[in-house]
Amino acid sequence: MTDGALFRFLDFAVGLSLVCGYVALWRRGLVAIVKALAVQGASVAVVAMLMGIYEGHVQAVVAAGLVLVVKAIVIPRVLVGVIHRTLEYREVEPLVNIPTSLLAGALTTVIAFIAGRHLVALDASPATRGVPVGLAVMLLGFLLLVFRRKAVTQVVGFLMLENGVALVAFLTTAGLPLIVELGGALDLLMAVLVLQVLARRIVRQFGATDLNQLVNLRD
Amino acid sequence: MTAAAIAIGLLQVLALVAIAPVVTGVMRTTRARLEGRFGPSPLQPWRDLRKLLRKERLITEQTSWIFGVAPLLLVASTLVVVAVIPSVATTTLLVDSVDLIGVIYLLLLGTVVLALAAIDTGTAFGGMGSSRGMTIAALAEPAALLAIFAVSLRAGSSSLSTIVEGALADPAGLASPETLLAFGAVAVVTLAEAGRLPVDNPSTHLELTMIHEAMVLEYAGPDLALVEFASSLRLTLFFGLIGTLFLPWGIATTDNIAAMAVGVVAWLVKVLALAVGVAAVEVGLAKLRLFRVPELLAAAFILSFLAVIVSFFLR
Amino acid sequence: MKAIALSIPFLPAVAGVIALSRWRRIASWTGVTAPALVLVGGAVLGLFVAKGEVVEVFDGLVRVDALSAWMILLIGIVALIATTYGVGYMAAEVAQGHTNAKGARIYYALVQGFVAAMLVAVSTDNLGVMWVAVEATTIATAFLVGHRHTRASVEASWKYVVIASVGVTVAFLGTVLVYFASRHGSGATMRWSELVSAAGQLDPGVMRTAVGLLVVGYGTKAGLAPLHTWLPDAHSQAPAPVSALMSGVLVSVAVYAILRVKVISDLTLGPDHLRVLLLIAGVASVLLAGALLLAQTDYKRLLAYSSIEHVGLMAIGAAIGSRLAVAGLLLHMLGHGIAKAVGFCASGDILLASGSTRIADTTALLSRRPATGGAFGLALLALLGFPPFSLFASELAILRAGFAADMGWAASLTAAGLLVVFGAVLVYGQRMLLGRPVTETSWGSDSRATMVVPLAGGLILVAAIGVWMGPLQPLMEAAASVISS
Repeated sequence: MTDGALFRFLDFAVGLSLVCGYVALWRRGLVAIVKALAVQGASVAVVAMLMGIYEGHVQAVVAAGLVLVVKAIVIPRVLVGVIHRTLEYREVEPLVNIPTSLLAGALTTVIAFIAGRHLVALDASPATRGVPVGLAVMLLGFLLLVFRRKAVTQVVGFLMLENGVALVAFLTTAGLPLIVELGGALDLLMAVLVLQVLARRIVRQFGATDLNQLVNLRD
Repeated sequence: MTAAAIAIGLLQVLALVAIAPVVTGVMRTTRARLEGRFGPSPLQPWRDLRKLLRKERLITEQTSWIFGVAPLLLVASTLVVVAVIPSVATTTLLVDSVDLIGVIYLLLLGTVVLALAAIDTGTAFGGMGSSRGMTIAALAEPAALLAIFAVSLRAGSSSLSTIVEGALADPAGLASPETLLAFGAVAVVTLAEAGRLPVDNPSTHLELTMIHEAMVLEYAGPDLALVEFASSLRLTLFFGLIGTLFLPWGIATTDNIAAMAVGVVAWLVKVLALAVGVAAVEVGLAKLRLFRVPELLAAAFILSFLAVIVSFFLR
Repeated sequence: MKAIALSIPFLPAVAGVIALSRWRRIASWTGVTAPALVLVGGAVLGLFVAKGEVVEVFDGLVRVDALSAWMILLIGIVALIATTYGVGYMAAEVAQGHTNAKGARIYYALVQGFVAAMLVAVSTDNLGVMWVAVEATTIATAFLVGHRHTRASVEASWKYVVIASVGVTVAFLGTVLVYFASRHGSGATMRWSELVSAAGQLDPGVMRTAVGLLVVGYGTKAGLAPLHTWLPDAHSQAPAPVSALMSGVLVSVAVYAILRVKVISDLTLGPDHLRVLLLIAGVASVLLAGALLLAQTDYKRLLAYSSIEHVGLMAIGAAIGSRLAVAGLLLHMLGHGIAKAVGFCASGDILLASGSTRIADTTALLSRRPATGGAFGLALLALLGFPPFSLFASELAILRAGFAADMGWAASLTAAGLLVVFGAVLVYGQRMLLGRPVTETSWGSDSRATMVVPLAGGLILVAAIGVWMGPLQPLMEAAASVISS
């Protein structure tokens, strides 16, 4: 496909991942939040594939397939399993209410765009234009991690942080060496499985996954 | 202005005024048919208006002059907007006297006037309706303005004719991320300002769930006719605005009769299609609880904010 | 030589697999053999690289220079102590009913995996692989921290996994940005050695962001303030040998990662850039640890806060950057690792005997259990920096280097913090150790030989190093020249 069309698709995929981040901040239903994460993972995979085609790196295309399977299919399935196992379907009373967290998200997006300016300046191609969006997705994931109570939402926030970093990686370098990608994907999968087991244990010990109850250990 | 331009402008005003109640009727009929009822005819709102106009004008003694003047102000401000927005053709009666930001504020003027009249009555439901209505208007304003800002950035000016001509010249730009995001924001603002589901149920009879209806509870006879007419006109205007900004195909840019005919047909198709679409979607929606409406409007704000960000940084 | 370097991470991995499938006794003793072999391999490598040579395999996937060899030695010694002690500890835990045979097998397997991941992290040239290995240590230790399935341990392991993973993800972004900068420098590379030689061509703006992110990320894993909040919880809830490994070695591996980053940063951005950041984080850690140590009620958390203080000291040593400071830093890593391991293992003994981790419940330790009490007390003295233990020399070296490098105010603040720590630990220590037993309840007989011998061996080693470094001296100097050349 032509370069112009490729960059249009790239812009669309990058923008979609940012919108998914906001959708996760906006929705209360845990299954909807996980679905937003899945769509975001798929858009990151699309970005990887397009960058691989543009730069001619086969490893980026392989990494795109890996990202798609792990981030858009396997991990969301695990998380939905956790939701059904812990029987908690919505975020009833977040620590920070939703309009405020959306506004905080808008603020962090502005910060991300300001901070990403000199990264774009190093190599001002149509691809690196999207790097601030990757930083913005990272910050949105971080907000999700901090502003919510349920365990699954914290895990989704962490995974969104990872998605943001992956986005920056694919946009700037068309993918890292394959061994790093493989190791990273494996690490991520293991981390999610670990968190799944821990969430089950939290429910067994505390009755619910309200993380605000985890305050016994302190000085 | 030339005679032809004045004629075109008058044609647009007349078309809008004539079609507005029919749009409301079409939405009611669509909803009824989808719910398995037969429903009223789409022309029923005109019959209702005729009945109301023939009734006696009743105003309580407890109100001030605002209550009587409000319906007139509402209709007047809405008619000014009707004369501004290009619906059938790009030349209208007042096209470059008021830009897009002015349009939004004229529509807001109508909301404010109605809210004042509702408080004027001193009843509990009036106060409740106007406080809810003003909250929603206040939260929807930033979203609407940012969305317009994004659209104007694209066109380089907030004058409506420039925006429409720019959109017609570059149709591929209508699928760009910032336009899609601005469309989403304007769609949510339309539902909020025009009082449709999921923000407000126009056919509810339970006063505690009302927002717009609670504000007009005390109106009767010709005043009620004016208020009802103004609210269908506002709804048609919002649909027309969406059609003009985001689906500009078919608008007549020249003076000849063929272009005008195409323009009228295109506009009718767009507005009625939007009406049927919104009504169909409404059948599946439930009204949001009041404390969740700010969440929806904050999401609209974020959509328009993203539209601005995208148009600034991804140029 | 290359074969040795390649096989070192695999030995614990194989031991871990054996542990999963085999009968407990064989599993536990294979678990001890692996670190012992790692130690031997590390010693051989150390002798080789101390002369300035470097062992490289697979194009930099495995690269052992003097600094790596030093870390391998550290990991080997501490792992040997922890796993030897762990045999008896796990047997006692099973006997007391805190866990079952399957839990013990999982424990052995995860500990070996943990050690293997740390070995991979210190013996690779590829920054990306180092990152993968550090993240893998978080995953391996997650279930180890939550080993006992209690409320507190579940809370600690959740906080630990989330905070540590977020930190390591931030470090990942830093790694990506370094790769990005190298792409526009002399050629895209993830290899530390190539980045060091091409450091002048890396874009300073991007590198500034990247280095900041890397230090924040790996600093979270090291427990530097203000990202230390997970450390007291995780290190106090984990079983004693795991706490020994985490406090003794894992934080040092995170500091090792920061040191590697510092070398690149010093060449690209000048030594002053990271100096301020590390100095602030280090001094803050020392002061914070001192303040929070004053009000401790739990002896395992006491040891954990002591770890934070020592990591702060290491960060200060890295910030100063002179030869003396770096040498002190390396010696401190070794001494602190061994002493902390002994301290945590002894605390495990106390927990097994008394059933409680509260300081108030532990009295007259020296009269009730001389061996355990003696080991615990000597470990505390070592951690406070008493001579002849090596921490005396290393702390003094770092402070002297601070004064010599015109950072007197930082060194004075650190000294003040160390004084506060000194007082707090002495007070709580003497409360736990001295006196006569008030209640008549017996704590059972003293610990088994397999549990005392590694502790005694560790203490003797730390004391010996404090007096005479012997064959370690050339290796330490070679490692210091890697960092501060």
